[in-house]
Amino acid sequence: MGLTPIEYRAWKGQRTEHTKRFLVIADSILRHSLRSKWFLAVLIIGTFLTFALPTIFLSISPHEALTAETMVDALGNGLYFVFIIILASMLCSDLLAEDTRSNSLVLYLSRALRPEGYLLGKFSGAFLTLALFAMLPALIMAVAITATQSGQDYVPSVEVIGETLIATAWTTLFLIPIGLMVSSVTRRKTYAAVGTFMTIFVLEIVAGIFAQYDANWELVSPGNVLAFSYDIIFGLELPSHVNEGLLLAAAMVMTIPPIVFVYYQITRRGVGK
Amino acid sequence: METSTDPLKQDTSEDGRYIVAEDVVVSYGPVLALDHFSVDVPKGIVGLLGPNGAGKSTFIKTVLGLLEPKEGKVTVSGLDSMKDRMSIRDLVGYMPEHDCLIEAMTGAELVAYMGRISGMSKKDSIPRSHEVLDFVGLAEQRYRPISTYSSGMKQRVKLAQAIVHDPSIVFLDEPTSGMDPQGREEMLDLINRIAASDKSILLSSHILHDVERLCKNVIIISGGRAVKQGNVEDLLSRGGARKRMVVRGTERALKDFLTSIGEVHQVLSVSEEFGQVTVVLVNREGSDRVFQLARSTGVQVRSYLPDRMTLEDLFIDTVREVR
Repeated sequence: MGLTPIEYRAWKGQRTEHTKRFLVIADSILRHSLRSKWFLAVLIIGTFLTFALPTIFLSISPHEALTAETMVDALGNGLYFVFIIILASMLCSDLLAEDTRSNSLVLYLSRALRPEGYLLGKFSGAFLTLALFAMLPALIMAVAITATQSGQDYVPSVEVIGETLIATAWTTLFLIPIGLMVSSVTRRKTYAAVGTFMTIFVLEIVAGIFAQYDANWELVSPGNVLAFSYDIIFGLELPSHVNEGLLLAAAMVMTIPPIVFVYYQITRRGVGK
Repeated sequence: METSTDPLKQDTSEDGRYIVAEDVVVSYGPVLALDHFSVDVPKGIVGLLGPNGAGKSTFIKTVLGLLEPKEGKVTVSGLDSMKDRMSIRDLVGYMPEHDCLIEAMTGAELVAYMGRISGMSKKDSIPRSHEVLDFVGLAEQRYRPISTYSSGMKQRVKLAQAIVHDPSIVFLDEPTSGMDPQGREEMLDLINRIAASDKSILLSSHILHDVERLCKNVIIISGGRAVKQGNVEDLLSRGGARKRMVVRGTERALKDFLTSIGEVHQVLSVSEEFGQVTVVLVNREGSDRVFQLARSTGVQVRSYLPDRMTLEDLFIDTVREVR
């Protein structure tokens, strides 16, 4: 006689609120990314090259206070932009492409999770993970410089810390929609990663070529849009050739349509069309 | 903290019908997927049969609120599929037919993750995932990435993720697909044991033998319509009225018997083989009259049985009628 089979047992727990379930997806993305050796390697190298040395150098150099110019220089540094687009490309590559390839989207949407909840979960997970490079080291740098300042008035420095928080959060929010959009059009994460990087790279090249004829073409470059945004966030003057309205329009075009497109892709695939 | 309720556990179903679709019309652009589709899905294991493209998956997606009906409505234990779609999805577990598992995760991780997305706390989801994996028979393999699993193991994980949150209704789409005979037997046994714990199971399968074994009721869908539904026994015995009778005797006696029985009952077919005559007739009364006729005409009755179809015959006949 064989073993007695294990009987089905009911679960008697309480369910969490529907509106909070997207956090499970965000949590899973953060954990999964932190277990990826490649992602961690780029994160550590990027943080070291971009922030570690400037933080040490600026902290030990004599300074009165943390200034907006210091932080704009640090964030406007090409190295910061290169590493953040590499990390955004790696991170966003499998967020939707992998679910499309494995058809696991159907598992999510058969649960009490709307397409917008699924998208919010993916977005939040990507935001939290990318913030580890985009926000955390910059904040540590700003706090370190403030802590070692010789001046007694900490209010302007704290103000710059707040602006740093906003600027780095904006940087993270700005790059994720492009990554998600590219990830939603392919089933291969390699294509998604390379595609995201190349999309941004091509826009930079196009902007570089056409800006020689008309300065407004500079706003086609995501790097320039971010750099000019920092000027506004830190209360510095924009270069005279930059039109604020066009800058706002460029920022919106690079964020809102990609997210709307991703939402459309999720709903379309969710019902199997 | 607010928690969502489980209306089915309060047994709001008044008459044992769990899913009711009334005159539902669903289309994908110009293609009509459900055409005035009406069904009453009772409690227990119900088979959902239909040729490819008949509308089975569309019906399941409509119940889950993924598709909005253009006309008509679907209710699950009194909850509207569109207005209460989130509450309905908490009550439903879905095992899709095709591959849908996140291959980078281990079986244990995936089941716990799906439990959490279904509203379980982290503290609850981990022991519960091990409990359901024990139930479906996935042992140490649960700690391996799903990409290394065989088809049978993937089917078990798909079942485990569908039941991890203890749904009241489970949709199983081709649950035995890709399984070896022993695995298939085990899967059918698991389905029976889930149903025994007061669950409703909607089973879609092309293996009609499995459906016949497991299901008390079936719904046959063709061309976007529910063309036949009811108790399997009733459908297969055609209400119990059709009888298959085998008689033998002299040529004269057989002729007299066929003449007289044709006057009393509707005779559907008569065939002769090896000196025996098989008569298929409709008899809604008792069998006394038939035996009296046989005795009076001098034929010997070799057998007299309900003319039971197989589910396969019923399915083919039904689909053919619609076409």
